[in-house]
Amino acid sequence: MEEKELNEKESLSLISEMIQKAKSSFHESGTSAILWGSVTAVCGLLSFAQVQFGFSLGFDVWLLIFVVIIPQIYIIIKERKNKLFKTYQAAATDNVWLVYAISISAIAFYQNIVPGISDKLMLDEGMQLLQKNIATGEVKDYHFFIPSLSSVYLIIYAFPTIATGLINKFKPMIWGAVVCYALFFISLYTSFKYDMLMLGLAGIANWLIPGLILRDRYNKNIAC
Amino acid sequence: MFKDLDPILHSQLRLAVMSLLISVKEAEFTFIREKTNATAGNLSVQIQKLKDAGYIDVIKKFNKNYPQTICKITKGGVKAFEEYVNSLQSYLGKE
Repeated sequence: MEEKELNEKESLSLISEMIQKAKSSFHESGTSAILWGSVTAVCGLLSFAQVQFGFSLGFDVWLLIFVVIIPQIYIIIKERKNKLFKTYQAAATDNVWLVYAISISAIAFYQNIVPGISDKLMLDEGMQLLQKNIATGEVKDYHFFIPSLSSVYLIIYAFPTIATGLINKFKPMIWGAVVCYALFFISLYTSFKYDMLMLGLAGIANWLIPGLILRDRYNKNIAC
Repeated sequence: MFKDLDPILHSQLRLAVMSLLISVKEAEFTFIREKTNATAGNLSVQIQKLKDAGYIDVIKKFNKNYPQTICKITKGGVKAFEEYVNSLQSYLGKE
């Protein structure tokens, strides 16, 4: 491109050509979505399988989520460094996922801390919860737990995906989030076992499938 | 009455750079060069003119020991670009 004077029509045409060039340059690799989708699907489906088929892996399979955080951070930093430009959509999407990371971590802390603290606070006041088997009359200690927390996780899973889908006008993510919201309503009526199955399915619909579609588009773009 | 077109923007390469930068939050020099097909020397000169006019900010930093030049449009640049497009549209409306 050389430095020359343009007439009015050429100017408008150049503006629209360059805006289109900038728009078509942005392609998400989908790596993070594939990683999160895979690990959530594996954790959810393995949790379901343990209850369904009566075996134990001997550790909390959801701890795999924390193992994935390290490569996730590495991927994000590497992708950021290699990007030659940043769109407004990408900046907004990054903030949405930052809020998601904070929220999901906060809920994990809530889940692990609140029941124990609630037990302790009751004991400090000289009280204890008991449960009675109405058939046998047996009375046992009852410990606080948070009912159907999986439903809350499903809502939180859907939030960044639908926001990303709407910001970037990417339908697979919007539909993935819609599936997640449907699973949320179903999970209100189901037991722990099926909640785990739904968390696994949410990982597939919400992240893994949209991530694979993004990856496919990215690879095609690289090949062009 | 029609306003004169902004002479800073009314040139092919500078307008191309501004049109790219209005579409993104920030862009690296190599990205702009690739999209505009301009030579590095000519692009540097035009970027400097846009910077001097206060239309863009230029941030120089290092990434893995390599120098990197990041450009982003300023508020003044957005305003000038909008006025330029409005002027163009009014000229074309007159035809």
